[in-house]
Amino acid sequence: MKHRNRTAVSVILPIVLACALLLIVDSLWALRGSGDSQSAQKFSASSIQIEPVDPGDLPIPPEFRMAIYENLIAEIRKTEKFQHVFRSGDKDAASASDLVTLRTTAQSFTKGSQRKREVTTFTGSTSMTLNVHITDHAGQPLVDRDVQGKVRFLGENLRATYDFSKKVANIVRHTFQSAERQATPFGVAGVFVEF
Amino acid sequence: MSIQNPIVSASVATNSFRGARSRLWARGLFRLAVGDPVMFFPEPARGQVAATPEPAPTVVQTDVKLVIGGETVRNNSEGTLSIVGSSLQFATGKAKAEVKASSILDISTNEDSRQDITGAAHFATIAIPYGGGRVLSLFSHKVDVLTLEFKDANGGYHGTVFVLPQGRAAPIKKQLVAMGAKASVPLAEPAPTNK
Repeated sequence: MKHRNRTAVSVILPIVLACALLLIVDSLWALRGSGDSQSAQKFSASSIQIEPVDPGDLPIPPEFRMAIYENLIAEIRKTEKFQHVFRSGDKDAASASDLVTLRTTAQSFTKGSQRKREVTTFTGSTSMTLNVHITDHAGQPLVDRDVQGKVRFLGENLRATYDFSKKVANIVRHTFQSAERQATPFGVAGVFVEF
Repeated sequence: MSIQNPIVSASVATNSFRGARSRLWARGLFRLAVGDPVMFFPEPARGQVAATPEPAPTVVQTDVKLVIGGETVRNNSEGTLSIVGSSLQFATGKAKAEVKASSILDISTNEDSRQDITGAAHFATIAIPYGGGRVLSLFSHKVDVLTLEFKDANGGYHGTVFVLPQGRAAPIKKQLVAMGAKASVPLAEPAPTNK
């Protein structure tokens, strides 16, 4: 009996280890591939304008809409991909030559409960899905993705807006070149000097 | 305020009036000593009205938390919310933020709940054995959430979220609407509760 068990272990263990190794190699390969494709598609712009959240038909409370908007502004500033992050309606945005515009439209929203989350750990999560649409100055889409923000266990409901904004900032980080890289011998990208 | 120049006065004194001259010197020095601080003090002269006198606040609410959207004030800082003149002011010990009532595009109030134990103490409750931390999560209190949408001087769109003690947001909203702030949800109707 003992001998059988030993044989089983000696057969199964290498198989499990091989599977794990394969998974690791595969995920690393996928990560490398996606990184290449993302870096190939990087756009450049000196300024971005962020529009307020479009709630659509969903009853998103105003504090959530405002928190999404303000968190987006803060997180996109942190990426340092743009020289200027304009708020909606800012008069200075009109003079930006290569302005891109970020719009968010709500797709789904579930307001949970912090108490439920922390007592049960499996109910009461707050989640939201918004379509993130970034267009260039001519209106051509650069990014069109659905992004989810959620708070599952610890934290207040509004933390879902922070989670969403962090994810959007990550997309921006992978989609746009940094402001420093855009510098040219004749100035900064977006400000072309004519001779 | 005019001060007699003691040197000029002394120069016209004759030898026969040496006693008087010394008295003049003493008087002049005394006036200079008394008058100098008054002369160079930045306070406006009597009868002159200061350019912008700060009126007394009409509504004052302490224990207010600015959740997000304070440009000059850090997020999640606690302070005093007050209506001064035609503006809404939020002041902490270090910083102050101000929004003019006429620039408010929408103002809304909502109800929510916040846990009694927050911050580092809240994280410490996780370590309580036998789910004691979860029991503590049951203790919470109702709060009012005041959300403002406004435009800055440059036309930029902003949002600010305040958390106030229960039942304290409505008087502030009422006062701001009376001063010209816009509100999409009328005052008479109770704000929708999203629980």
